[in-house]
Parts: sequence; C-alpha cells; structure tokens
Amino acid sequence: MGEIILDVRNQRTAFATARGMLNAVDGVSFTLERGKTLGVVGESGSGKSVLSRSVMRLLPGNSVVPSDSKVILNGKDLTRLSETELRRLRGPEMAIVFQDPMTSLNPVLSIGKQIMEVLMFHMGMKKGPAKEKAVELLRAVGLPQPDVRVNQYPHQLSGGMRQRVAIAIAIACEPDLLIADEPTTALDVTVQAEILDLLQRMVKERNMAMILITHDMGVVAGRCDEVAVMYAGRIVEKAPVRELFNNTRMPYTAALLSSIPKVTDPPHRKLDAIEGRPPDLINPPQGCPFAPRCKFAGPECEEQVPPLEGPGAHQYACVKPLGEEVAA
Amino acid sequence: MNAEPGKIDTFLAIDNLTVEYPLQGGRKVHAVTDFTAHVKRGETLGLVGESGCGKSSAARAVMQLPRPTRGKVTLDGQDLTGLKGRALQQARRRFQMIFQDPIASLNPRMNIRDIVAAPLEIAGIGTEEERTQRVAEMLEKVGLNADQAMERRPHEFSGGQCQRISIARALILEPDLLVCDEAVSALDVSVQAQVLNLLEELKKELGLTMLFISHDLAVVKHVSDRVAVMYLGRLCELADAETIYRQPVHPYTRTLLDAVPEPDPDAPEREINLVPGELPSPVNPPSGCPFRTRCPRASEQCKAVMPELREITRGHIVACHHPLVPEAG
Repeated sequence: MGEIILDVRNQRTAFATARGMLNAVDGVSFTLERGKTLGVVGESGSGKSVLSRSVMRLLPGNSVVPSDSKVILNGKDLTRLSETELRRLRGPEMAIVFQDPMTSLNPVLSIGKQIMEVLMFHMGMKKGPAKEKAVELLRAVGLPQPDVRVNQYPHQLSGGMRQRVAIAIAIACEPDLLIADEPTTALDVTVQAEILDLLQRMVKERNMAMILITHDMGVVAGRCDEVAVMYAGRIVEKAPVRELFNNTRMPYTAALLSSIPKVTDPPHRKLDAIEGRPPDLINPPQGCPFAPRCKFAGPECEEQVPPLEGPGAHQYACVKPLGEEVAA
Repeated sequence: MNAEPGKIDTFLAIDNLTVEYPLQGGRKVHAVTDFTAHVKRGETLGLVGESGCGKSSAARAVMQLPRPTRGKVTLDGQDLTGLKGRALQQARRRFQMIFQDPIASLNPRMNIRDIVAAPLEIAGIGTEEERTQRVAEMLEKVGLNADQAMERRPHEFSGGQCQRISIARALILEPDLLVCDEAVSALDVSVQAQVLNLLEELKKELGLTMLFISHDLAVVKHVSDRVAVMYLGRLCELADAETIYRQPVHPYTRTLLDAVPEPDPDAPEREINLVPGELPSPVNPPSGCPFRTRCPRASEQCKAVMPELREITRGHIVACHHPLVPEAG
C-alpha cells in the first residue's frame, strides 16, 4: 500500500434551508493514496461538488458539519484547523480546479499576477523569481508563448487556455492533493481530451493524489484508478475502475451506465432511461435512496439505508446486489 | 451547387445558407458560410460541431430567427426566406423549436396551461375551452400529469419536466419540422435518456422531420438518420449516421470521434490527431480550408483552395482535399 494522503471519515454536510435541513453529503468515507486518482461520479445534486468543498473546507455559512466528520490530510484533521491555518494549507498541500475558468480567475489581474500571488504568499518568493516561476508553470501546462501570455488577462484567452492557467495556479505550490471539480464540463470535446491528459500528466510527474469529479462516465473510465459513484449524498458503489465497469454490483451504477448514449451504439437504439428523479434530500425516502427508482427493489430495500460494504476493494451499498440472483 | 443530385423528395432544403453578424469597423463574424443540406420528410438530420462552429446560427437561420444573410430555406416547397409579416407567422405553425435551457425558455410568471396554449392563441385556434383540452392532451403525451401540471409555474418543475413542457409547446400546433438546439444538453444522463426516448417516440407517432443540433456526438447518433459535421461555419462532412461514425473521411470528424471519452475502461487508447493551437476566429477565418491550421494532413493546396463539397460514395459528402479513404469508384 502506498502512502495515504487523504482520509475522509463519515463526512456529513448539511445546509439549513427554509424547508429544513438538506443533507447534501450524508456519511461519506474514503482514503486516497499518493499517486492515485479517485473518480467521483454522480448526477446533479448527488453531493459530489459539496464533497469536494467539504474536503477543501470551502463551505458557505449556512452549512452544518457534525463533529464526528473528519477530513485528515497528511495526518492533520482539517476540521479542527482555524481559517488562517487552512489558508496556509490550501496551495502547498491541497488545491482545487473548478468547472468554470472564467469565474474562478480574477478578470482584472493578469494571469501572471494570479500565479505570482500564490507563490509569494505561500513560498515567500520575491517578485522577480515568482514571475520567472510563473512563466515556467505556464510552459508546463502547455500555454503557447508563456512569456507573452504571462502579462495577458483571462478574457484574452480561450476557455481551454484559461483552464490551463487555473491548473497552473493549482499546482504552483506542488500540492499533495489536487481536486478537479468538473474541470472539462465547460469545454469542447477535443479541448477536454487535452486538459484531461494534462491533469493526468501533472499527477504522475509531481506524484500528487487527485480527486476527479465529473458527471461523465466516459471521463472516469479512462482516467482513474478507482471510482466512487454517488447518489443522494452517499457513495453507493466504489471499486477499482475496471472492476466497477465490468462487474457492476449496485443497480444504480448499472442503470446509469446503460442510460448513456454511446458512439458505438447503432443509431436509434432505445435508451434504458431511469424512470423518476433523484429523491428530495430534505425528506429522503426510508431505506435505500435509490429504491423508488430501482427495477430490482423489494420490501427489504425500504427497511434501512444499506451500508457501503463488500469484499476487498469493491464496495456497494445494496441489499440485493446484481450478480447474486442465483445465490438468493 | 447541388450536393445531392437526384433528390426529389426533399422536404426541408437549406441551400447556400450564410449567416454573418456585423461588427464595428465593417468587420463581420462569419458564423455560417455556404451551408447546404437537404432533409427528407420524416428524417432526422443531426448537426454536430464544437462551440462556435455555427450549428446554432444555422438552426436559427432555418427558423428565420433571425433571417440568414444569404441563401435559401425551403420547407415543403415554400421559400421561408421570402416570407414577411403575417405570411411568415402563418408558416411558423409548420416549424417549431426547442431550446437548450429548459427553465430559461419558459416564462416564469405564466402557468403551464398558458405557456403551452400560447401558440394556439397566437394562431387563433379554438375557444379557450378547446385550447385547454388540447393542452391537457399534449401534456399527457409528453408524459406529464395534466391535472397536476396545468395550474403550476415553471419553477415547480425539474429541468427534465420543463423540457417536456417545451416539447409540448413546440408540438401543440402539429408542426412538420421540429428544430432541437442542444435540447438535452442541460439534463442529467438518466433524465436525458427519458427525453431522447420521448423525442424518438413522438417523431414516429407524429411523422416529424427533425433538425437535431448538439455538441454531443453520442446523443446525435442516437436520434439521427443522417449527420452533418460543421467546423468554423462550414459543412465538413455529411453522411448517414451509421457510415459517418464507422468510416469518417474528413480528418476533423475523425478527430472529434477520437476525442469522445468512451464509458469503457478497456476501450483502446486513441491518439488525438490535432495540430496544437486554437480554433481560428470566425471574424478572420483562414484562407482555403478552415480546418487546415489544425489538420495533420494539411498541404499547400489546402491553404490556397477551399475544398468543394463532393460526393465520395453515394450520399456521403465531404469537403476535403485529402480525405481519409481513397475515393470509391
């Protein structure tokens, strides 16, 4: 086993809303080793982005996290740190790349200044060397003419180039953990491939750990070591990537996979849609949250929320997992 | 230029469509240039390409929203580009559109009955009671419970349900042509599958002709009989869906297909053959072939001469000097 960088234990994140408490992340636990990439997939509202912000401790004021939730990064429990201490960690130990590079970059600062800011704050670098390092970083992320681009502003760059800049900022202080939250969702498909290649290369070269959050099963299939599927705020299945796709146990994962249109399908194939919609997280159903939409659900599914368990690395939260029909 | 010789049963004819948007200083955005495609009755033509390729501008020009700068759009023999005022409004009953953002395209202050009944009202069809009856039937047809939905407003519905309401509104006048501009792009995959299946069913039931625009190649393949690929405002390749995905001949189509991440960890890793660089600006498109600045096969000829559209096998049209397969006799 490699060195464990991140250990998330029973993370719960709720938001106080006018209608009541909304349990966006509802008891998520996992660990992540150096050099590995964990893919987190789910549909909107499944809690994947709130999970990433819970790890970064970037939650809004109306969020509630109980005291038994722990996020341990390099042996430090982030839930016990002050905001000042957290700021010292964001950058050198953990960093995040967001979906929309136009809103995550500052429109009135040159991209060079935005990279230098990080280097000067965290690494105590002086202006001159920081600028040199900024150019070097821009070159590393594949920005053409980095010595010219360093003085340009975000609006002068294309979406793909802006995302490269956001990645340069994220890796500037060589973090141990990089979170990429839908990093290519706003980008065209050819640019997406380039950015995903870049992220993968950075993780390998710098020996980081990465959490890649996406709604796209195609993105996780080729880019992750392990995949966690989220539904209604929980991880409902987690396995090494090949195992997850080839030996799917949780009916939700299977349903999600077969509802995706594929370029290899014949034209006009009827898609296996999942009927209904995800549950209301303020008043979740009794038992398994997927049971109301599940083709295989029985009365036993409504009794209690199934825990995430299973033999070895393949875990699933289901009382009637697929592939056990014969034994049952 | 007729790229499809011998086609007599054309229902929607788009000929040499050009859309330009003026900029300051006399410059122009060349959004669509010389786009030609013919669609048969009951057929779905998919239109794919990356952002800025002109697919939405082309769709809107077909809808006359706004009118194209040049070129002709003919629906069932009627030239839409020549119509004005009342005549255009009359003709619009026959072609309707669904937009990308399901929530933004519904008026938040109107209830669902009034939203779906609006086209009937504008067309002056039926009494209020008859219209309500039609709305109820249409809502049931798109899979909503009419009794529950009628009096509610858009914010009370999910994205998928709002898209069903948009479909009901678009179909209530029983149009012949339905234009879908990224109609499922904002939806989650499980809901997207529901809406795609619904569109396929309705198309069959109502005999619709469709123009289906999307950046998602897999989605387009699912609904289309034929597929057109656009790059920087121009048509690169057009063929039936099966052929273009199995045997693309334009280097750009090949690149697009290779870039689609497949939901299969055992899928062979594919090299993306693209010269590094940026999408050229549609204000200053490159000389010759628009794709040449990124094309690994580009030559001097590509720089000098814009490749003409030509039919390399029956019904398979490409604009490229160096297509990926030798020409079949």
